Amino acid sequence: MSTNASIADVTAAGAEIETADERVTPLKPKRTKAFFASSIVIYLILVAIAVLYIFPFLINIATSFKTESDAAADPLSLIPQTWTTAAFRTLFINSDFPTWAKNSAIVAVFVTAGRVFFDSLAGYALARLTFRGRNVIFACLIAVMAVPSVVLLIPKFLVINQLGIYDSYAGMIIPLLVDAAGVFIMKNFFESIPASVEEQAAIDGAGTFRIFWSIVLPMARPALITIIILSFQGSWNELAQFIISAQNPALTTLTKGVASLASGSLSAGTQYPLKLAAAAIMTIPVAVMFFIFQKQIMNTSEGAVKE
Amino acid sequence: MQRRKSSRLLAIGALAAATALGLTACGSGFSSSSGSTSAASTKDLTHKDTALSVLIGSSGPAETKAVTDAVSSWSKSSGTKASVTAASSLDQQLAQGFASGKPADVFYVASSAVAGYAKAGDLLAYGKMLPKKSDFYPTLVKSFTVNGTFYCAPKDVSTLGLVINTDMWKQAGLTDADVPTTWAQLKTVAAKLTTSGHVGLAMSPQYERLGAFMAEAGGTITNAKGTKATIDSAANAKGLSYVQDMLKAGSAKFSTDQGTGWGGESFGKGLAAMTVEGNWLTGALQTDYPNIKYKVAEMPAGPAGKGTLQFTNCWGIAKDSPNQAAALKLVEKLTSASQQLSFSKQFGVLPSIQSAASTWKSQNAALVPFLDSVAFADGVPNQDGSADVVTAFDTQLPSLKTGDPKALLATFQKNFAAVLAK
Amino acid sequence: MAISLRAPGRSNQAPQKKRAPRRQGIAGWIFVSPTLIILGLFLLIPVLMALWVSFSDWSGNGSPFSAGVHFIGTKNYQQLLSGGGLAETNLGTSLRNNAWYVLLVVPIQTAVSLFLAVLVNRAVLRGRGFFRTAFYFPSVTSSVAITVLWLFLFSTTGAVNKALSYFGLHGPNWFNDPNGLVHIVFGWFGVHTGPAALTQHTALGVSWWDWLAGPSVAMTAFIIMAVFTTSGTFMLLFIAALQNLGGDVQEAAMMDGANGWQRFWRITLPQLRPTLFTVLTLGLIGTWQIFDQIYTGTKGAPENTTLTPSYLSYTSAFGNQEWGQGAAIAFILFIIIVVLTILQRAVLRERRVSKRRMRQYDPSLQSTSSKELSR
Repeated sequence: MSTNASIADVTAAGAEIETADERVTPLKPKRTKAFFASSIVIYLILVAIAVLYIFPFLINIATSFKTESDAAADPLSLIPQTWTTAAFRTLFINSDFPTWAKNSAIVAVFVTAGRVFFDSLAGYALARLTFRGRNVIFACLIAVMAVPSVVLLIPKFLVINQLGIYDSYAGMIIPLLVDAAGVFIMKNFFESIPASVEEQAAIDGAGTFRIFWSIVLPMARPALITIIILSFQGSWNELAQFIISAQNPALTTLTKGVASLASGSLSAGTQYPLKLAAAAIMTIPVAVMFFIFQKQIMNTSEGAVKE
Repeated sequence: MQRRKSSRLLAIGALAAATALGLTACGSGFSSSSGSTSAASTKDLTHKDTALSVLIGSSGPAETKAVTDAVSSWSKSSGTKASVTAASSLDQQLAQGFASGKPADVFYVASSAVAGYAKAGDLLAYGKMLPKKSDFYPTLVKSFTVNGTFYCAPKDVSTLGLVINTDMWKQAGLTDADVPTTWAQLKTVAAKLTTSGHVGLAMSPQYERLGAFMAEAGGTITNAKGTKATIDSAANAKGLSYVQDMLKAGSAKFSTDQGTGWGGESFGKGLAAMTVEGNWLTGALQTDYPNIKYKVAEMPAGPAGKGTLQFTNCWGIAKDSPNQAAALKLVEKLTSASQQLSFSKQFGVLPSIQSAASTWKSQNAALVPFLDSVAFADGVPNQDGSADVVTAFDTQLPSLKTGDPKALLATFQKNFAAVLAK
Repeated sequence: MAISLRAPGRSNQAPQKKRAPRRQGIAGWIFVSPTLIILGLFLLIPVLMALWVSFSDWSGNGSPFSAGVHFIGTKNYQQLLSGGGLAETNLGTSLRNNAWYVLLVVPIQTAVSLFLAVLVNRAVLRGRGFFRTAFYFPSVTSSVAITVLWLFLFSTTGAVNKALSYFGLHGPNWFNDPNGLVHIVFGWFGVHTGPAALTQHTALGVSWWDWLAGPSVAMTAFIIMAVFTTSGTFMLLFIAALQNLGGDVQEAAMMDGANGWQRFWRITLPQLRPTLFTVLTLGLIGTWQIFDQIYTGTKGAPENTTLTPSYLSYTSAFGNQEWGQGAAIAFILFIIIVVLTILQRAVLRERRVSKRRMRQYDPSLQSTSSKELSR
């Protein structure tokens, strides 16, 4: 339940687009003077918008190094009047921030590992194995993707509670271990690679799991990276699931912890440098992931189109 | 094709339903103990030797530390292990605890929430087991009494008072003798204190502030028995009209109209010479606006005499707690005079027991009006669901200046009657 | 969701190999079983349990299946939809707020993302990668972090108001301002109270005049945030679609003397219809579920103008112990989302006629549209 439509849904949809249409050579316009003029205009517009999109994050970083009064007096400036790392010191020494970060990391790692394994298993079965009920399962999977996650807020708590895994890592992690969109992406990918290799291996007498594990899975690297990115980002940024599955402060994740920071009490003051420092730090892992796999992310949504 | 698919889906749904039922049958983790509803004496309390968990809705690090220290010192002397958790969202964490059958043993409960928890069977009604129950202020006991049962010990109390900026007071040529004790005087000084830079009086547009004026006019929320809503009375309308007059005259403003979050912020930023706030304001002024000089007065009397509002929490004990006996002992310690005075020093609340009053007054001379107000304060409504009704009223109050007080009260009345009828 | 509308067709294309050996059947079930168990346990069963709770008087103590919990029929739903009390007013208010949010966010984010995609897609552009990254980056950050940032940017003395002051504007008290945008505009013309016809009648406990209030200033800050964080994601979808477009049609249109603007409206946009549909659907589903931002930011304040059904559902259950009502709100929201999605699908479908214009330029499109029909 991230900001809006979940990225996984979008990516699944993107994969769809990619296979639905065939690629056509892009249009080569004639280069005229008017064309160059319009290019400059476009550049100017793009730069202006890019500034709008980047500036808030620069403010975020700058403010986390400001003093509270400085942040209030000059909220726009990117250079603190007096540099201070007080916010970071408070976070790491005088708050539960390290615990939150640890929990977020634990959850993200397990969820990512689980999704990579289970999504690809199911995706492979749905793409390649013929068995009774496959189409029904697939239809259900798609129906499941249509259920808005917010409807599940209360009921998920009820089930987690009933299973006796409330207030534990298990309760936080297990419900996130599989995502329908991920299965869908893997299925799409497996369908796009030729079946001849597996058929050869099958003739050689390899078992289904071995074929999957040592032959097909290594070939699915690009799709797996997609799943890794989406799962890590999804679980790192998840909030609602952690609200309902645990209350022990030792199990608080970054999202939950920072959200509680945001609604501080009246007498505590605004504490913007502290809050923004927390927000900045919690963005670092997804940002790093984003920049490492940037090309992959863009291609995920752009499909097989090469530049 | 489509039809076949949907029928298959149905079949799967049925299967899942069956699984769900099966799951229920072997349901784990729930204690469906609906045994003795209210223990008659301390002998009936559960007393397994388990550690206690205490869940508090803390106002900040000072409160968390104070409670933690108090609990750990009790733990040392009693030999029962106990830990304190500051909730990030008290209501939510309590609700999850009750539903899971493993709630915190001891926790804060707001007076507006006590009836709901009591009805759901979440709370141990231990009020009458308290050895010093008569020491609590009677109005506070009333706040935690549901259908005649005194549920939990009042933790502390806060009241509303009139807080005055002494610098502005002097600038306007006013002296100590001018501190208003009647509505008419308040109106006069508010007008005198209004300049281009600030208004005479600012407050949050909330029942939790304006309710004081309604009480001073003789208005109530329900009849004495609590069976009928009496919000649409002429007295309540008089209280609102009085505030409305000052808003119209420009000598009073709502904090929302000044672009601040609450009356305390207006006051702290020097946008108002007076505000109606509770004793928590002193802490906020100290941290955020240390340069403001102020003094506290009782709310001025209205046509029906003195009146103000009080706010309070109690120490709830969970009915599902396996160690209620120890929990009760802990609560007795936490509500003792010495402990409450220590809390008061650390995070500025008023003690909930009468025996601590004189010591407290001598220690907090400047804040005495807050504690004196307890004598005539009304509690905020504590019926199940009343908190939402009050919030709904609050959403309409900002329009009081141009609105019709009677119409506002009529909606309040309608919603509250619905709560009582539930 | 978008996928669900098309995918069943695809599943039939899955390789049907000669005849499946029995071994494969067992393996297949084993392979999908973790997925089935987890999704069943944490999706299907929860929904059924919540359905029961929404018809019960469970008050949150112990199990919802214990003996003390009773079936109370549609009472929870009745109280929400026609109870005349606060539950109804709150639901009405939250639906009003969220409806305005959807009404503004979905078209704006779609337009902005399409606009960005078209700009970025210009073939000769250098630095395309940079711009794509810049526009997409907000999408990867968590809604909690962005909300915290937004609370700062849009605070009374925050960056946005500071920037506005450079233009001589006095910015509003964003997250504390409950006034509706439409009401504010009426206020400029001296209209401060609605006509009796609008104020006297209510729907779901909210007067018609208040339904028309528009999003509050506080909600507007959330609307801007939604556009900021999602336009990048949808931009990628549009870029992908744009790169798959046929250049031939464009060239034919150019020959015919159509200018860039006309070409965009007549040729490009109709061809983007599937993507547009995806973006609108995902947008619609996403925006009706706004929760994280409200939980982190305003918690429904000021004056309930940022209260949304999902947050109301959460507070009803976890805050007020009204579990039945909370679950019922969730189902009402679910139904709204499903109905609107179907409705939107129907509306977008009917416009297929406009493709006729494209066929003037390219007869081969005939086949494309028939393919679309078969979907």
